Amino acid sequence: MEDKFDCIIVGGGVAGLSAAITLARNDMKFLLIERGEFSGSKNVSGGVLWGEGLSKLVPNYWEEEDAGFERFINHRRLTFMDSDSTFSIDFKSDSFGEKPYKGVIVLRAKFDNWLSEKVEEAIGASKYPDESFLAPNILVEEVLMDGDQAVGIRAGEEKFFADSVIIAEGVNNLLTRQVGLQDDYVPADALAVGLKEIIKYDQTVLEDRFQLNGLSGMSNEFIGTATQGVEGGGFLYTNKDSVSFGLVLGMISLRDSGLKPYDILNEFKAHPVIRDTLKGGEVVEYSAHAVSTGDMKVMPKEIYGNGVLVAGEAANLLMNSGKAIQGMDYALHSGVLAAETIVEAHKSGDFTKNTMKTYRDKLEKSFVLQDMKNFQGAVEFLHSKQMFESVPGLVCDFGKQFFSIKNEPTPKTRHMLSKSVKKHSSYWQLLKLGIKGARSL
Amino acid sequence: MKKLSIAERLGMVNYLNQSKTEAKPHILVDTDICNTGCDHKATTRVCPANCYTIDDVGKVHFQFEDCIECGTCMYACDKGAVTWEFPDPEIGRGVKWNFG
Repeated sequence: MEDKFDCIIVGGGVAGLSAAITLARNDMKFLLIERGEFSGSKNVSGGVLWGEGLSKLVPNYWEEEDAGFERFINHRRLTFMDSDSTFSIDFKSDSFGEKPYKGVIVLRAKFDNWLSEKVEEAIGASKYPDESFLAPNILVEEVLMDGDQAVGIRAGEEKFFADSVIIAEGVNNLLTRQVGLQDDYVPADALAVGLKEIIKYDQTVLEDRFQLNGLSGMSNEFIGTATQGVEGGGFLYTNKDSVSFGLVLGMISLRDSGLKPYDILNEFKAHPVIRDTLKGGEVVEYSAHAVSTGDMKVMPKEIYGNGVLVAGEAANLLMNSGKAIQGMDYALHSGVLAAETIVEAHKSGDFTKNTMKTYRDKLEKSFVLQDMKNFQGAVEFLHSKQMFESVPGLVCDFGKQFFSIKNEPTPKTRHMLSKSVKKHSSYWQLLKLGIKGARSL
Repeated sequence: MKKLSIAERLGMVNYLNQSKTEAKPHILVDTDICNTGCDHKATTRVCPANCYTIDDVGKVHFQFEDCIECGTCMYACDKGAVTWEFPDPEIGRGVKWNFG
């Protein structure tokens, strides 16, 4: 291993592994370093990998007997909650069972590990099967610089050298800060903390309860009382024989609420509707992780430098636009684009900013930065107190009136709606919110 | 489902190097800053593993053993009291998720 690598990838998550597969397929010599015992052992996400990117990276992955995903999504639900009711928008379509799937639910300890096997396979099939490596259980402490050019990494006493470094270290992007692309301190304003429990069921119980068929699955997002007034929302995703259930809470809003995050999770589980949904399950894991919200003001100052590229959530590429929480698809795509940039740099022999900059251009042209830019208004909109307090209250209040039959003269629906609006908001407030929502979504 | 305490929840977490009596801390907290110059003591409120606590006389205490490497405290502390690093795989603490 004395030779210099074409590239060193720091981090074996979705971004790093996607970059690695792409490098291997282009016959690059690389070293991927992961600090966990195996890829995925340190990683937490909600989590749904949205979109069709995985099918491009690992063609026909669904044909594998035990591919790394839990279930594909053909059922989506958005639920508004008040203290005793839920009101859901529910969409299920058999067409979502067509391949490639539109989204797959994953558990990272399994999925990332599976994806790392795809890296090994790609290395094996490349021109240099003995000159690229996956190295787990090693912590990269420093990106080595020669002037302002990244030339390798240091792990403990050991140094490894390469023409380029892809930083795919996740949201807690210490190396991105070290190389000067991100501020040393990133404020909590644009970050959230995600908490999750894995709740296990007998598989047939789970399939009956959520009307799952074969490998089909459901994603459910919650807005309203789930968070006890704290900015954010809840989620439930069906795995093979468990559900991923949790919350994403704005850090500053959580700080100011005086509530403990795990107590909010307990209250969410105790909600009468959720209680019935989760009945009989056994919690087998509790996890949590900081998560970016999609606010572009905390993105690194730049995502490329001389000899260095930043991919995935290390570049804060994650967004909740209200339609879905997207992060792993951004990680996958940015990893691929970063690797393609390295391949081009290798061809031209130029690993300076001049070539590295094309990574940014590629990302700008792709859905990743296009969506993040176009939906900044939606990110802000979802952070407004009305969206996670008044609107869910209003919707549930209307539901209680509309769906109750009292055997007394029934008011017209518009009167019911008017009553709910007055109780939780005002027409003026709603109009403003409606305009904002219509513009941003 | 029964309400779980934070201790019960953390009881399910696989921590690394548990057999080692002296693990190397990956987070250092200057609690003097918390106790003299901080009005919000945010870390004690947001940490999902309850590593930051306040005692009866209002003083902040920190232990890294229960840390699940989420990173929240690194953002929540805006007073420079928290020095955050990833745990050393060999001699540090930290997590290994079964599901993640």
